[in-house]
Amino acid sequence: MSVTPADMLIEARDLKMDFPDHAAKSLFGAPPRTPVLKGINLSIRVGESVGIVGESGSGKTTLGRCLLRLHEPTAGQLLFSGSDYTHIDRSALQSLRPQMQMIFQDPHSSLNPRRRIGAIVAQPLLASGIETDRRQAKTRAIEALQRTGLGEEFADRYPHELSGGQRQRVGIARAIVCEPKFILADEIVSGLDVSTQAQILTLLRDLQREMGLSLAFISHDLSVVRVLCDRAVVMLQGEIVEEGRCEEVFDAPRSNYTRQLIDAVPLPDLDDDWLIREPEIQKEETGMDVKGKTVLVTGANRGIGRAYVEELISRGAAKIYAGVREVGSMGDAGDSVQEIKIDVTSPADVKAAEAACGDVHILINNSGVNTNDHLIAARDAGDARTEMETNYFGTLEMCRAFAPVLEKNNPGAIINMLSIAGRAPIPLMGSLSASKAALYSLTQSIRAELAPKGIQVVGVLPGAVDTRMTENFPGDKAAPTDIVKAVLDGLASGEADVYPDGMSAGIAAGLAADRPATLAELAGYV
Amino acid sequence: MSNTVLTIANLHAELRAGRKTGPGILRNVSLTVHQGEMHGLVGESGAGKSMIARAILGILPRSILISDGSIDCLGRQMVGLADSDRRKILGRDISLIPQDPLTALNPARRIGAQMTDVMRLHLGWSRARAHDAALALLNEVHIRDAEAVLRRYPHELSGGMRQRVLIATAFACEPKLIIADEPTTALDVTVQKQILRLLREMQNRHGTAILLVTHDLGVVAKMCRSLSVIHSGMIVEQGEVSDIVTRPEHAFTRALFAATPRYDRPADALSPVPGEVVRELEEKAATFDRARAGLS
Repeated sequence: MSVTPADMLIEARDLKMDFPDHAAKSLFGAPPRTPVLKGINLSIRVGESVGIVGESGSGKTTLGRCLLRLHEPTAGQLLFSGSDYTHIDRSALQSLRPQMQMIFQDPHSSLNPRRRIGAIVAQPLLASGIETDRRQAKTRAIEALQRTGLGEEFADRYPHELSGGQRQRVGIARAIVCEPKFILADEIVSGLDVSTQAQILTLLRDLQREMGLSLAFISHDLSVVRVLCDRAVVMLQGEIVEEGRCEEVFDAPRSNYTRQLIDAVPLPDLDDDWLIREPEIQKEETGMDVKGKTVLVTGANRGIGRAYVEELISRGAAKIYAGVREVGSMGDAGDSVQEIKIDVTSPADVKAAEAACGDVHILINNSGVNTNDHLIAARDAGDARTEMETNYFGTLEMCRAFAPVLEKNNPGAIINMLSIAGRAPIPLMGSLSASKAALYSLTQSIRAELAPKGIQVVGVLPGAVDTRMTENFPGDKAAPTDIVKAVLDGLASGEADVYPDGMSAGIAAGLAADRPATLAELAGYV
Repeated sequence: MSNTVLTIANLHAELRAGRKTGPGILRNVSLTVHQGEMHGLVGESGAGKSMIARAILGILPRSILISDGSIDCLGRQMVGLADSDRRKILGRDISLIPQDPLTALNPARRIGAQMTDVMRLHLGWSRARAHDAALALLNEVHIRDAEAVLRRYPHELSGGMRQRVLIATAFACEPKLIIADEPTTALDVTVQKQILRLLREMQNRHGTAILLVTHDLGVVAKMCRSLSVIHSGMIVEQGEVSDIVTRPEHAFTRALFAATPRYDRPADALSPVPGEVVRELEEKAATFDRARAGLS
């Protein structure tokens, strides 16, 4: 048995919940299930108020409903004062109910219009059997109403006779009438005016302190959480991205998402550049591990692409889409590899790939051409155009198509295969150098553009690699496998530009130290 | 400042019950919006801010009567304007960005058809020309794959996308005045910021005057140059945002600031609007109504 501290009221351990996605259901068979909570760990102490913040679709309401066992979680464990209530039956739940109550979002639809306020507030007492005598129940209902600032006279009124703020007070009175230990409040002030909202918040704060209640307060509004809660939990796509005391979370947020949320709140202050300012995105400590991820590699059938596929398999990638010009060219690469026809210069192929590979986390833009041509000495600009078309525009179109997919499947990453030639022009391969320089600039630009969306962009600038593309290139060449290993290590440690071999690292160091001399030396080799 | 686009002067509106006039809805409301300016109209629900917006557009409920005052928009008197004349102005010189993008769009028609309607009607453009203009507008509001979006139905778009479509449509005929009625209230906070940014960008590019109706002091502080605070159908404070945010004069404005929760301040900094401030305003409104009843 696990140990629970004595003052812990509610605990959720690795809580998971998924729902059938009927929109994606095929004609036959059960609909696929969409995970809404992906392993939540949350604990609420006695007398503590915890704010659960997040945007729509973050799973905050589902979490609340699980805590009250209005949903039965798919996996994980729920504890109330140390005892498990994850899968208990109806009758056991019914005896637990009076201890955990809920205040609803909409005070209009959550009060029965045909019953008087007194009867509405007394209902939980009678339903749970705490009180069997109606008159006694009504007396307690009136006491509860008075605690929320509504006089005895309200007991005989109907909901439509009350204002929004008064109705929300009735909702609070109904929740506290059983003297519960835990209350869940889901967006209870979002429909109220600022002045009413302030009253309800102060009321709830006072009641919570006075009664020693534990409170889970779900809200999309960070400011409201700060007013009411001791601790804040920030949710994003079914996961907790940050958690801590309110002053810690709001004054010194640790996660980029929290920072983004806070930055988006318009405070009633003068702040001229708020509108155009982007929150400071700090590099996350860890980059991305390919284990369990879905990866798309273009130009996968040979050279570096082929090495990627093999290395990804050995590092435990869940699925690899191998982008090839002709399906069948991969041979038998393994069960986790699926070939997909992509010519990056074909808009139709790119679009089809985007539709077919909706689960991709990492896009590796590896496809490229090298015509080994000069720029001026060439017969015409045809080769230069071909290289630009594939190396630059092909990569751009792939990035444009997949950025939304990667954002959705967060975390996401793009790896662009450039060349050291993009930073050190090689006369022999002028047109290649130019296209890779354009691609280098593209990579820097989209990195800035995609960072706020949580997409890591890695630029890889190898030197000569032993592939067919460089068969005419003299000198030492690095093995594709070594390049690929360096890149995936770089991805994992969150690097931006990777110089994966001795040659490229040397040139990069030289360029940084003394660019003209390095370029002159390079020209000498060629 | 010159170039006023909208001047509301001493506007009174009352609830009409049979032949008798009931309590006031708007009481002596005056405000001015200049070209290229964003003016914030802030108040709580029932304060009358939406009534002002609807009075400008001429879409007040039948039970509400404008009894006095004028609404001058681009030299035209909007009070008592014939419906046929009003139809020529709405959507062309004045347009609306509504609060709820889902209900504002017809669920049974494609986005393209709804966007081109207004240009074909007001500017007499052909289907093809309006289509091209709609494409350009969608690009302007940063919608990717605009051609595909034009073929979609409203339910196929996210809330933020729908609001972008409505903003694009509002700017379609190059109006001089846009009334934005709580344009971001239904949106998530990060989407709200994107939409506000877009609204500012479009306004700067087109030089449009915008009347921004909202309950959110924060949105006004970040977006507007001038501001009117309204309660009980009366303007309680009016002026430059920079003045009012730093030194609110009226007790109600001060109370509103104090009642707005802020994530950067500890819990105890919040204080509800004192009852006497509100009562005082309500009494003032009642006195005003009595005085008007004596007049008429």
